[in-house]
Amino acid sequence: MVIENEKKNSDKKFFANKELVAQDEEKEKRSAELTIANKELAFQNDEKEKRAAELVIANKELAFQNDEKEKRAEELIIANKELAFQNDEKEKRAAELTIANKELAFQNDEKEKRAAELVIANKELAFQNDEKEKRAEELIIANKELAFQNDEKEKRAAELTIANKELAFQNDEKEKRAAELVIANKELAFQNDEKEKRAEELIIANKELAFQNDEKEKRAAELTIANKELAFQNDEKEKRAAELVIANKELAFQNDEKEKRAEELIIANKELAFQNDEKEKRAAELVIANKELLAFTYVSGHDLQEPLRKIQTFATILLESENENLSEDGKYNFQRMQLAAGRMQQLIDDLLAFSRISTTELKFEKIELSVIIEEVKAELRDTIQEKLATIETTGLGSANIIAFQFRQLMYNLISNALKFSNPGVQSNIIIRSRIVTGSQLNIEKLSSEKTYCHITIKDNGIGFEPHFSERIFEVFQKLHGKEVYGGTGIGLAIVKKIVENHNGTIIATSELSKGATFDIYIPAN
Amino acid sequence: MLLKELNILLADDDTDDCIFFKKALEDLIIPTNLVAVHDGEQLMDLLMNANNELPHILFLDINMPRKNGFECLSEIKLNDKLNHLPVIVFSTSFEQEVVNSLYNNGAQYFIRKPSEFLKFKEIILQSLTLVALGDITQPIRENFVLKAQ
Repeated sequence: MVIENEKKNSDKKFFANKELVAQDEEKEKRSAELTIANKELAFQNDEKEKRAAELVIANKELAFQNDEKEKRAEELIIANKELAFQNDEKEKRAAELTIANKELAFQNDEKEKRAAELVIANKELAFQNDEKEKRAEELIIANKELAFQNDEKEKRAAELTIANKELAFQNDEKEKRAAELVIANKELAFQNDEKEKRAEELIIANKELAFQNDEKEKRAAELTIANKELAFQNDEKEKRAAELVIANKELAFQNDEKEKRAEELIIANKELAFQNDEKEKRAAELVIANKELLAFTYVSGHDLQEPLRKIQTFATILLESENENLSEDGKYNFQRMQLAAGRMQQLIDDLLAFSRISTTELKFEKIELSVIIEEVKAELRDTIQEKLATIETTGLGSANIIAFQFRQLMYNLISNALKFSNPGVQSNIIIRSRIVTGSQLNIEKLSSEKTYCHITIKDNGIGFEPHFSERIFEVFQKLHGKEVYGGTGIGLAIVKKIVENHNGTIIATSELSKGATFDIYIPAN
Repeated sequence: MLLKELNILLADDDTDDCIFFKKALEDLIIPTNLVAVHDGEQLMDLLMNANNELPHILFLDINMPRKNGFECLSEIKLNDKLNHLPVIVFSTSFEQEVVNSLYNNGAQYFIRKPSEFLKFKEIILQSLTLVALGDITQPIRENFVLKAQ
């Protein structure tokens, strides 16, 4: 009975050992798998690091190529999430391995306790079975070896746990880095947009500047042309200036010559002025002498009138009372004497008139010409009636005249017109006046700037040959014998003198038997 | 028809002219009474004497000694008693200014002494006739100078 029990115990021990060996084998397989898994993880981690480095480079690349980078960043986020998910899975596996290791450690403790029990049992069995003892000793050694191996595996599991934590930490860091890169990318995208807007604005600004540039270039071209023109003008002016300098020298020389000449002229002028003064003194003396002569003519003429008139009157009384006592020859001689006395009377009258217009005061007044002409017509009334003459006056105005002289002038001209009327033709005299400017007249003696009163006396009498038109105004000039037309030849001289006293001029125009026209021009003011 | 005798006063210093005047009046058919003075002072004394009857007409020469015809005419025309007296001025010469001045001073007529005696008589008759007809208002200017036909 005891032996049988002992055999049963030995079987039991044998099977227990086998079970332990099988468990050990399982553990080894499991350990090898873990090692492979860890290597795989380490490899994957390395790959991820490389990938991250590439991402940094890629991100830098993306900073310049915005759209691509954003897509890549999104892909990175997805990849990161995948990695995070894989990491979680690995952590769970690691936790499971830790629990399995703790179970193995507990089983190892239990086995050590059993081994100790088996040592006691083996010692007891030493007596009974050497084989069993040897085998027990080997098993102990094997167990020791296994325990050692288990310890090693535990250490390795702990190291893996630490390595996994490190990887998890690195993963977190990379996620943070990826998030930062996303933000950096968005910022870059925003800056890019801003820069594009700025670029568009700059394009517009550039176009504007380009337009302005073109305009300035055109202006510059124009200015260049203008500058050339100015430069040309400048050259011309310099040439001109040079010419002027020469001309100035010439003028300066001429000036000097002229000054010398002027000095000579000043001396000559002084001499002339002296001579002029002498002449003026002489002229003044002559004027006085002339006035004295005219005054003498006037006084003598005036005083001669009275005795002459008495001679004439006594002659007529004698002729009347003694008519019967005179012979025919005596009567004829008496008539000749009376004619001579008559001419003497006329001569005295005319000389008086001539001297009067030279000696009396020249008093100008504004007078209506019609008044003067009416007075003259009244004076000549008898002759006008005798000749059945008509005197037409048209457009007569006023004139600035010496009244008594102008009356004398009109008297002489009208009485001449009546005297030299055409026999058998009714005498017609036309008198008119107008105001004209000298420039309208073109008469040598008149100023073209002054205004003149132009008086015309036109008759239809016998007229005279044109070449006498100036001579008739000279004193004592007559065109007819005194037997045909009486007169002294002083009348028109008086007319001319009066016109000259009025600072005017008189022009006679005629043709034989075609009437005569006298045009008088005196200043209107 | 018997005309009323005209009292004529002549103021002229020239003896010959006085003879001509007297002779002319003698030849006229008009009854006249002639008084002659020979200078201006005599004339004015005569006219101013209240005892003397005023003449019907005065023939006045211009050139007289002591007081000339112009002065006498002015005094007469400025005197209320005398200014209605018709004054006919006589002169050898004819000057328009003188004539105008006489007209303005109120003379009745101007006569230039003619050199023919017939004309002298004629013009005296003409002036006396005008006055005898009572025409003693001053004529218009153009009729102021009397002339023989």
